[in-house]
Amino acid sequence: MRARLAWMLIAAAAAVWAPAARAHHSFAAEYDANKPVTLKGTVSKVEWTNPHARFYVDVKDDRGAVTTWNLELASPNVLRRNGWTRTSLNVGDEVTVEGAMAKDGSKMANARVVKLADGRRVFAGSSGGDAPPPAAN
Amino acid sequence: MKRLVLLALAFAVVTGALAVSAQQTPPAPTSPAGAGSQNRGPAAPTGPVTRLPNGQVDLSGVWQGGGPVGDIRMGLAKGEMLPIKPEWQKIMDARMSKDDPEANCLPTGVPRRDPYPWRIVQTQTHTFMLFEGNIHSYRQIFMDGRKHPSDLDPTWYGHSIGWWEGDTMVVDSVGFNDKFWFDFVGHPHTEQLHTIERYTRTTLGTMMIETTVDDPGAYTRPFKISFTARLRPGEELMEYICNENNGYVKHITGPAKDF
Repeated sequence: MRARLAWMLIAAAAAVWAPAARAHHSFAAEYDANKPVTLKGTVSKVEWTNPHARFYVDVKDDRGAVTTWNLELASPNVLRRNGWTRTSLNVGDEVTVEGAMAKDGSKMANARVVKLADGRRVFAGSSGGDAPPPAAN
Repeated sequence: MKRLVLLALAFAVVTGALAVSAQQTPPAPTSPAGAGSQNRGPAAPTGPVTRLPNGQVDLSGVWQGGGPVGDIRMGLAKGEMLPIKPEWQKIMDARMSKDDPEANCLPTGVPRRDPYPWRIVQTQTHTFMLFEGNIHSYRQIFMDGRKHPSDLDPTWYGHSIGWWEGDTMVVDSVGFNDKFWFDFVGHPHTEQLHTIERYTRTTLGTMMIETTVDDPGAYTRPFKISFTARLRPGEELMEYICNENNGYVKHITGPAKDF
């Protein structure tokens, strides 16, 4: 219970901080908000770097073929203020990611929500708007 | 304990960003970085403005926003049109987002802002604006009565001199290069750009920044934009080195105007 409360307070703190603008470039020019994607797989790499933190997820299809997706997060400073740390995602974690696909068709997406290995769903500081509009929740 | 949880939950919902939601359908992505987006979030602290021992308004602190991010037109008075020259409108319309200097980790210039906090530091002779993000840089404003030099080399932040008019800090800047964009959509300018910014701390937690943009190269007349910066009490600047790993600009395929 305490952990849950703590996370909620982090959520509240993140909300207090959150401007919608998270990136140093236009979201719409790189990602297509009309092409949502949900990816379930294993974290194979984490880059805790600027201007965007990134992580890579190996996704297996029905036949066992593995595709590696490159997923963009906000910058580490924004993520820190949202309660993330560089150990929030670790290689080997099983995660589910909801995001928007890159317009150029590459295996890239802007992560909006990440379901972590422990079941928590966390917003990813997406440049596409990580904070839902107040009416949505 | 249950009450505490409910309180925390209510707080998160009210502020509009419940970062953990167990069973809910994710909301549709909100629109990206609009210029007005700096005004989202909780109310800024209220109360009288702080003053220095000499009575001068104290602008120092960590602020967020205060200028265009997505589209400079968001700062115009209601109903006003941007007086951009047709030939520059064409140049703007052809711009691709991947070429936005900010996306390439170059400075915002003036009056553009970024989504990251920034700090004002006042001394008797200078005012400094320290930018956390994009890029981890600063502006220096000379408050010692000097004039603009006549032989300026064009630069990203130009040459800024400032003075006080009552409780308003006025910053006059010239000597800009023509490389930066005013916003994500690519509003242009030329080296003839001259800005006059007026910083007025309207309450403890808010600061109005009104900027007169005068660029006879790209606009038919001067125009004014107005944005509000909000104080981030208790916040400190963090490191943000944009160039560290900016290897994905090639994937930004869309035109700037479609932001």
